[in-house]
Amino acid sequence: MKRREFLKYAAGGLSALVVGNSMPWLLESEVFAAVPAQTLNFTITDAIKDMATNNDINAAQCYFWIYKDTRAVNPLPAESPGPMIFVKQGDTIEITIKNALDEPHNFVVPGMFDSGAIAPGATVTKSFVVRKTGTFLYQDTLNRPVNRVMGLHGAFIVMPAVLTGTPAQRVTPYRTPTPAVQQLFNDLGSTAWWPGLPWELGDTATDTPAFRQYIWLLHQASPNLFAEVGNFTAGLDYPADQFRKKFLDERFDRNAPDRANSVPQYFTISGQSGHFSHNNPFLCPNNRVGEPVLIRILNAGLWTHSMHIHANHVYVTSINGVVQDNPLWVDVFTINPQDTIDWLNPYMRPPDVPNVTGVGRADTPLVSLHGQPVWPPNEEINTRIPDGLFAGAIDLSVQLSPLCYPMHDHSEPSQTSQGGNYNMGMISGMNFTGDRNTAGGVTTFPNAPLVHGPGPLGVFPPSSGV
Amino acid sequence: MSVTNPAFHIARPSVVGDENEYAKMFDPRPVGANPALPEPLAPTNPVPEVMEALGLREKPNPPHTCQSDLLNGLTIRTWDNRKNLFFMTFRDTALKSPFNAPHYPAPTIRVPRGVIFHGQTKGKGPPPHTIHWHGIEPTPMNDGVGHCSMEIGNYTYQFQPNFIGSYFYHCHRNTMQHFEFGLFGDLFVVPPDAYFASIASTNPDGTVNLNGVPVGAGSDGKFRIAANVAQFPQFPGFVGGDPVEGVKNGDPHAFTVPYDVEAIWVTDDRDSIWSDLASDAFTTFPEFGSQPGINDKFFNNPGKRGFFNFNDFRADYWFVTGVPVPAHRGGVGTIPTGNIIPPALNSGVSGSMVDINAKVNQTILLRNLDAAYNTTRVTYPVDIVIIAWDGRPLGVPPFGRYNHAYLVPAGTPIINSTARRYDALIRSATPVSGFAKVDFLDTRGRTRVLTAQIPINITA
Repeated sequence: MKRREFLKYAAGGLSALVVGNSMPWLLESEVFAAVPAQTLNFTITDAIKDMATNNDINAAQCYFWIYKDTRAVNPLPAESPGPMIFVKQGDTIEITIKNALDEPHNFVVPGMFDSGAIAPGATVTKSFVVRKTGTFLYQDTLNRPVNRVMGLHGAFIVMPAVLTGTPAQRVTPYRTPTPAVQQLFNDLGSTAWWPGLPWELGDTATDTPAFRQYIWLLHQASPNLFAEVGNFTAGLDYPADQFRKKFLDERFDRNAPDRANSVPQYFTISGQSGHFSHNNPFLCPNNRVGEPVLIRILNAGLWTHSMHIHANHVYVTSINGVVQDNPLWVDVFTINPQDTIDWLNPYMRPPDVPNVTGVGRADTPLVSLHGQPVWPPNEEINTRIPDGLFAGAIDLSVQLSPLCYPMHDHSEPSQTSQGGNYNMGMISGMNFTGDRNTAGGVTTFPNAPLVHGPGPLGVFPPSSGV
Repeated sequence: MSVTNPAFHIARPSVVGDENEYAKMFDPRPVGANPALPEPLAPTNPVPEVMEALGLREKPNPPHTCQSDLLNGLTIRTWDNRKNLFFMTFRDTALKSPFNAPHYPAPTIRVPRGVIFHGQTKGKGPPPHTIHWHGIEPTPMNDGVGHCSMEIGNYTYQFQPNFIGSYFYHCHRNTMQHFEFGLFGDLFVVPPDAYFASIASTNPDGTVNLNGVPVGAGSDGKFRIAANVAQFPQFPGFVGGDPVEGVKNGDPHAFTVPYDVEAIWVTDDRDSIWSDLASDAFTTFPEFGSQPGINDKFFNNPGKRGFFNFNDFRADYWFVTGVPVPAHRGGVGTIPTGNIIPPALNSGVSGSMVDINAKVNQTILLRNLDAAYNTTRVTYPVDIVIIAWDGRPLGVPPFGRYNHAYLVPAGTPIINSTARRYDALIRSATPVSGFAKVDFLDTRGRTRVLTAQIPINITA
């Protein structure tokens, strides 16, 4: 993918603002539709969004309040959540915020910055120095939780000031890692059990970025309640207790039309859901075995999610800013409202693929009854499913390559859209596009640069709205 | 600025050029087809043969292969005699009567680490189904997620379990419905010499003769679980191993600890409105149209198949490993004592229990899966030591060198949300008579909606 193509992917809350000039690797990374910004400039305003559904019974629209990027040059498109913001520890951030809505709003990075209440029509400009590292949920904290849940939130990522490590002291995402987390990052790419790259290093020869990281910002949206808030008396705050009660606990009435209550109907990851968050190279990691990635999970809503990843267990390295002394290795983790959780995904060969020693190591694969090693699984990779199925003239078959696995909330009511549409909800995944450790060097599986991108030929389709 | 006149319109992304991936997300194929297993290996799992020798199942055909049939309807009267709850279940058709009937939860599958597991799966009802072996990490076709590979009529899943611990299996089709309605069971990976140790000899026809080693125990006659409890000497018999290589090329008992008593908890909740209004397994199945992303449809049946409220879950009945919790929303219910899991539903292992009934100075292994959509908060009347989460033993090198087993003192709550599992050890030198208190916390607001009390009795 060429730099000039980035902006067409910059819809869907997947765009990033990189503040300052100190992280050129982020702008070069194909994983982010990233643009440089010397200062931040937002307008607090509103939008109607077309949500994902298979259903043509209605337009599946939902009203949001949004932080709109309003920098003078090439502003990012409207979206909820607001743009991902990448900064470096020690940076001074200048931010201008205009409130175009009709009640007070603010912009807060918890523990770091508070704009103060901004009156309707007013504009403030302030600056702050970034002292902490890690994953933060920027948000409007006024009339809590209404303004945040209405869409005024986004991910604020602080990378450490020093981004060059040594084999004895690899870069971690944290200014002060625990011994356990430091050891984990030291071992990636340097031990017999994790051959490949350390997190801080990329490989231009294989189109592999450094500091591989993904952001999954979880949210729940109630079209009925959000419209009610939008239509509330101008200049007055919608009652927060009433909002919380309706959003969480308005009772189902079996005599009412479907989805008549205020329970959320859309469950999104960085504003996207279903196909649009799963088969999406900016949300779903596409990497080879031996290319570990960091995944930062934030929950802007009011529901608890239980996020399950297939194919690799992940280490929980940080919970709400606390780097872990005892990082658990899990396939599911609890994400409560407002949590910020970091996962280190080692991107090891799926360990239950049969191998000689059978103890979870990337050892010599067993040989199949067809006389071929079972890894890489070339028979499976060369399978097309569903072969020969068409919709009109459109061939619906998909080659099972790259190797595709999901990541989803296991508290499954969130796996829906408009109350049905299984799989159109809070889901993304992880794909294997190859293996750095196969005999003869780095292997890249077929189609890696295509649908599953990113890559030189990435074709994830642009939003029709851009 | 208003709902009817917003400042911006955010369009849905296009699927043009991507229709195949888009359609496969919600309408994966082949429906009713029987895809061949790629990269096939000869299965080596001894459990079906041992089960046959115990007289619990028919002769394995094909050998070394487990069978699961889905889905099978099952109606269970609620504890308060107010309702019939509809369940969708797995059935192991090779088990002898009455255990070949539909069962909730499904029979527990145990498999030794390192063997080649084959699970032959037949789907019916809605033709497409899958089995996802949760926590097991094989290739995508064997991972059993329709939209990532394929759904099935018949298929033989293949994997080699590489880590001892607690997993589960469930259908990954229309999952918000099929998982909620009971299409799941436990899956335990056991030490590599378990089951093999119970085989005295193999006959020419492949059947086996058993010796005196209890089924499921290792060659030393003890049941073991993966752990590093070097820091917890109260659990005798722990076997360590290489501090860097861990279990590689070593003793099959390296980094395991024996246990005397096993308790299996699967916490679950049901919404009887879903059961009443959405008992059809096709409910809200979408199908792609001639222009995917433009004119897709749902099965054209506005009756039972048209329940568009799966976003709205509100539990009103609760279970622990299939045992009803006798309480209504907001209440406290105590499950009865004496719940022993039959060996036929437990891969031949005898004596596993739900409520805990043990002696002082016995090591108790507790496996806890949250299969509810709500979060659980469990408080124990005794100290427990957590030795693993999600089938990954803490502190076992090399992958566990970054973490360690840890003590949870009596009275300290542990949070477990949907699909998480932990393994814990309990051992008391003094009698205990009390309850584990399981608070179900609504994922919508984290308020307590029910407390289940599970008896724990440790006697002299």
